[in-house]
Amino acid sequence: MSLLQIENLTKTYTVDHTSFVGVDNISLTINKGDFLSIVGHSGSGKTTLISIVGGILKPTSGRVLLDGTDICTLNDIKLSEYRVNRIGFMFQFASLLPILSAKENVLLPTIFTPGKNVADEKTAMDLLELVGIGEKSNSYPSQLSGGQQRRVAIARALLNKPDIILADEPTGDLDEDTEAEIMNLFEHINQKYGVTIILITHNLELAGKAQKKLRMSKGQLVDI
Amino acid sequence: MAQISFFSVALKNLRRKPFRTGVLVFAIALLVSLLIFAISFTVSVASSLKKSSERLGADLVVVPVGARGFAEEFLLESKNTAFYMPISIIEKVKKIEGIEALTHHTYLSSVSGLCCDIMPTRIVAFNPKTDFIINPWLQESLGRPLNLGEAIAGYGTSENLGLGLLDIEATIFDNRFSIVGVLEQTGTGLDHALFMTEENLQNIIESGKSPLKKGEISIIFTKIKKGFDPDYVGRVLEGEIPEVDVVARSNMGGKFLDTLADINKIFLLTTFLASILTTFLVWAIFSAIANERSKEIGIMRALGAKESHIVHLYLVEVTVLGLLGSTLGALTGTCLSALLAGTFSLLKNISAGLTGGQQIIIALIGLLIGTAICITGAMMPINRIKKMEPLLVIKEE
Repeated sequence: MSLLQIENLTKTYTVDHTSFVGVDNISLTINKGDFLSIVGHSGSGKTTLISIVGGILKPTSGRVLLDGTDICTLNDIKLSEYRVNRIGFMFQFASLLPILSAKENVLLPTIFTPGKNVADEKTAMDLLELVGIGEKSNSYPSQLSGGQQRRVAIARALLNKPDIILADEPTGDLDEDTEAEIMNLFEHINQKYGVTIILITHNLELAGKAQKKLRMSKGQLVDI
Repeated sequence: MAQISFFSVALKNLRRKPFRTGVLVFAIALLVSLLIFAISFTVSVASSLKKSSERLGADLVVVPVGARGFAEEFLLESKNTAFYMPISIIEKVKKIEGIEALTHHTYLSSVSGLCCDIMPTRIVAFNPKTDFIINPWLQESLGRPLNLGEAIAGYGTSENLGLGLLDIEATIFDNRFSIVGVLEQTGTGLDHALFMTEENLQNIIESGKSPLKKGEISIIFTKIKKGFDPDYVGRVLEGEIPEVDVVARSNMGGKFLDTLADINKIFLLTTFLASILTTFLVWAIFSAIANERSKEIGIMRALGAKESHIVHLYLVEVTVLGLLGSTLGALTGTCLSALLAGTFSLLKNISAGLTGGQQIIIALIGLLIGTAICITGAMMPINRIKKMEPLLVIKEE
């Protein structure tokens, strides 16, 4: 069942009067429950692509349809609602707020959805248990290892039960064992909860763990 | 319920760099305390003047030509001066249309060692039958009229003379007087006088120690009939009786108010400059904060924060900061005003105390202005923060 349709998506940047193509006329259909990996060298356009899908970057042209709605036409308010309700983000770095404990970091998206049926502390604790660091719920990011911080970020991405998790090099600076643990966690979440995952990586071995694998080169998608 | 909120995140942000937060709070507190001190000073002086003038009960003050300056500052001055005019002036004043009632005082200056065994003090002799200036206070403080050989001290005079106790005997112009009490504080120059009835003047004149001659008085207080303009009646009085100067109640304290206006200008300029400095400081610090936290803001935007959420978060932070500094400044400013009032000669001669209500209103004004200045300084950086492109700031190294 199609969840996300990307149609003729293009993003060009202009720097010092010179245009660069970040994403070059990409079309792609992603189904609900897919676990998709996209590999490619630095500058190939991977991050640009998922940033557009995640609604934090506007394309130059093309459409991104989620359940038939083109998110590229949404205003700031609707786009924020889209991000908070339907997307879970994971970044290349430990993206936790240093002033908040692990549990508070997980709960952070709740302050952007006031008045709604927001997740509570128990949900946050359950998610931290799910990612295996329930006992670290009151620890601050500076007290956590890189792997533990990534787990907190995964728990946070899951908080609002998103349709899609966008993970941009989520294991970039982790050792191999931790990397494998995080990947297992993604697989588990994908299989148990049916959450669609789009994983960006430059590691072909990691990409191989996904159901679907794509490669980006010079802004275009190429099948592996 | 989620355990975090914009407020809790803002508080945690403020605790992140305690020294920086402390500097900002201190700067705002300084500004607000200066502001509150300035407002308190001005309001207390102005309201004290108003109260004193209302309490005086006279619409016009008539003095000999040349004593206008004294009459204008009568409410505030405690100078030990004496001036005289013939008592016949009273009859002339009575004939002027619009005069409802009048009474007169006669002033004497005591000189320590020569005539009297008290500190140099203005001595006021009044007519108990016609008086409407002293009698009401006398009734409140003593509950009976003054008798021959009795005097009562003004509130400030009692302090100067060291009269903590009643029934003190004193020699004034070679006459023995019992000082039978102390009047309530009035906030006028009369607080610094010693009062007696004018029946004592005969004995004082006979002593030969006073420049006062029989048939002389110092000042006439008049009440004006309803419907008459005191200024107009005053002009008529001066026109009809060339030997006198007349000052209306509304013009009393004029010199003092001029000085006060100059002081206000200095306060205004100082507060204005301090406001600009504080605004600039807040702007500089929040600009630094915007740069420091740009990645965090990008993350929050990616997690679903709207532009308005970012503005909300930082507005809460700056408002908490402003309220903290302003509260501290309001407390400091109010205490400073109370403590320093006694050290300002301008305030010494008047009852400069503010009412509790006035103090609360001034503190609230300081609180509002301090917080508003803080928010104003932070608005530009906050606007820049909210417009940051999430992806760009997330990718920044």
